[in-house]
Amino acid sequence: MSHIKHLLKTPRYGGLLALVLICLLLPLLLQNAYQFDVAIKVGISAVVVVGLNLLIGYTGQISLGHAGFFGLGAYSSAILTVNYEWSALAALLAGSVGVGLIAFVLARPILKLKGHYLAMATLGLGIIISIVIATEDWLTGGPDGMGVGPFMLFDYEIYGEKAWYWVVAALLVLSVWLALNIIDSPVGRALRAVHGSEVAAQVAGIDTTHYKVLVFVFSAVIASVMGSVFAHYSGFVTPTEAGFFHSIELVTMVVLGGMASTYGGILGALILVLLPQLLSGLEDLEMIIFGLILMLTMIFMPKGLLPTVTGRLKGGKA
Amino acid sequence: MSLLRVENLVKSFGGVHAIQDLSFEIPEGVVYSVIGPNGAGKTTLFNLISGVYTPSSGEILLAGENTRGLAPHQLARRGMSRTFQNLQICMNMSAVENVMVGSHLRLDSSFFKAMLRLPSITRGDRACREQAEELMEFAGVGHYIGSEADAMPYGALKRLEIARALASEPKILFLDEPAAGLNGTETAEIDQLIQKVAQSGVTVVLVEHDMKLVMNISQHLLVLDYGKKLAEGSPDQIRCNPDVIAAYLGAA
Ligand SMILES: Nc1ncnc2c1ncn2[C@@H]1O[C@H](COP(=O)(O)OP(=O)(O)OP(=O)(O)O)[C@@H](O)[C@H]1O
Ligand SMILES: [Mg+2]
Repeated sequence: MSHIKHLLKTPRYGGLLALVLICLLLPLLLQNAYQFDVAIKVGISAVVVVGLNLLIGYTGQISLGHAGFFGLGAYSSAILTVNYEWSALAALLAGSVGVGLIAFVLARPILKLKGHYLAMATLGLGIIISIVIATEDWLTGGPDGMGVGPFMLFDYEIYGEKAWYWVVAALLVLSVWLALNIIDSPVGRALRAVHGSEVAAQVAGIDTTHYKVLVFVFSAVIASVMGSVFAHYSGFVTPTEAGFFHSIELVTMVVLGGMASTYGGILGALILVLLPQLLSGLEDLEMIIFGLILMLTMIFMPKGLLPTVTGRLKGGKA
Repeated sequence: MSLLRVENLVKSFGGVHAIQDLSFEIPEGVVYSVIGPNGAGKTTLFNLISGVYTPSSGEILLAGENTRGLAPHQLARRGMSRTFQNLQICMNMSAVENVMVGSHLRLDSSFFKAMLRLPSITRGDRACREQAEELMEFAGVGHYIGSEADAMPYGALKRLEIARALASEPKILFLDEPAAGLNGTETAEIDQLIQKVAQSGVTVVLVEHDMKLVMNISQHLLVLDYGKKLAEGSPDQIRCNPDVIAAYLGAA
């Protein structure tokens, strides 16, 4: 019992408990299907961002192409279930294994690059994926996208916003738990050391390339899984899911919420999914507004929202 | 057999010959210093030995094994450790975590086990944290155990870096200007720390401009000038060497 108390006191499990409570209580506040829909979309993005934050925030390796992996997951599920009548779970797993392999093969050459070059390479990767999806219309339906069937888990169909809410909430809690475990482990310290000083990490015995590849693959697989979830939830996929704008959106969530802050990334996802809902009618300006948020955050709040706010609170008390 | 042996080592950067046909041996258990004026090639030599740079030609043997083609992390596994002239501390981590990074190669670092936080990970982390705290005490920065690295003053960071370098339990430790930028008292403390490290059985290779420190602490010196060996010997021999006096000590 005292062991459990001790666990809850550590920031790691304290935060996780708060997240579980929020996920459990939130449905009491949500009043209609539309609000559940927004919550689910926040959750899907948040899970992707939890993975992406490990790569960008903790390891210091930018990726402007992760929507590509999200799109690959979404289309794997769509194509395998619709055209080949695979079960949804098998398609999701096949998609994530496939994306994992692609990410693994590409990671070594890509992650040799640094700074702008890495940004350009991942940007190119994402663009190539979205172009292939848009042009191979015999398989993908082209720019118009394609419909996706429901997610059947054995005999049970995940149906309706409430059911999806619980699925996504469970995935969010799971991903945060995994991420926190990684961060506070020899692996997480290796990742953060790559960010802090790659040469110091190397001479301390850390195979930095190995860890950069691992975290790239891990974040890509998470994006793919959530792409699959998104495909079945929304019932329709289009190439925009894999596109450049979606990649930028994901990076903005990481930067705004907080680089190297797992909960911050979730906050970033919340804000950037809610914002377009509040600004409805201004769709044309969405991209500009996101760009502005990205710029202003980097200039005035380089650590991101959550770390800055908690830093202020701590500083204020002292 | 000497612990480290360098044979006909050459390193050129374009037209700059940073190391030219350099050979020497470092026996086990000594404090061995490499001195020389700015730009003599001391840091380049450390980068070559630790695998950060690849030699243009020549051989480096660690405990008899040719290190050609080995990456820094592989050399670390063979007992090599170092600090940096321009301080390489991870400012995104706490002080203790920086030292824990140093024990990486002795821990179970499987990604899947870490992701699920299996008991072997928890156990390894606990032991490694305790050891890191002990090393911080040993290095004289024990009162920063609860600190973030970016909250520590420069002098303390220099010693934190030594603590991290010791965490891998090296056979041979390379220190690149550990006293640079420190005041007299701090330098004396570093002097004591290096002596403690040497007494614990670690072979120490030191690059340092502070002559008092170097002469006091080392059993053997190598003097570099323009990437070449100018002289080699005990502190007394070096002090009386006319070439050294002309090129280096006289000027200082
Ligand atoms: N990466 C590099 N690229 C090009 N030239 C280099 C590089 N590293 C070192 N050099 C050159 O090699 C020579 C030796 O430099 P090095 O840093 O090894 O000297 P040092 O003895 O450590 O000097 P100091 O006492 O100032 O630290 C210098 O001329 C330097 O400009
Ligand atoms: Mg130097």
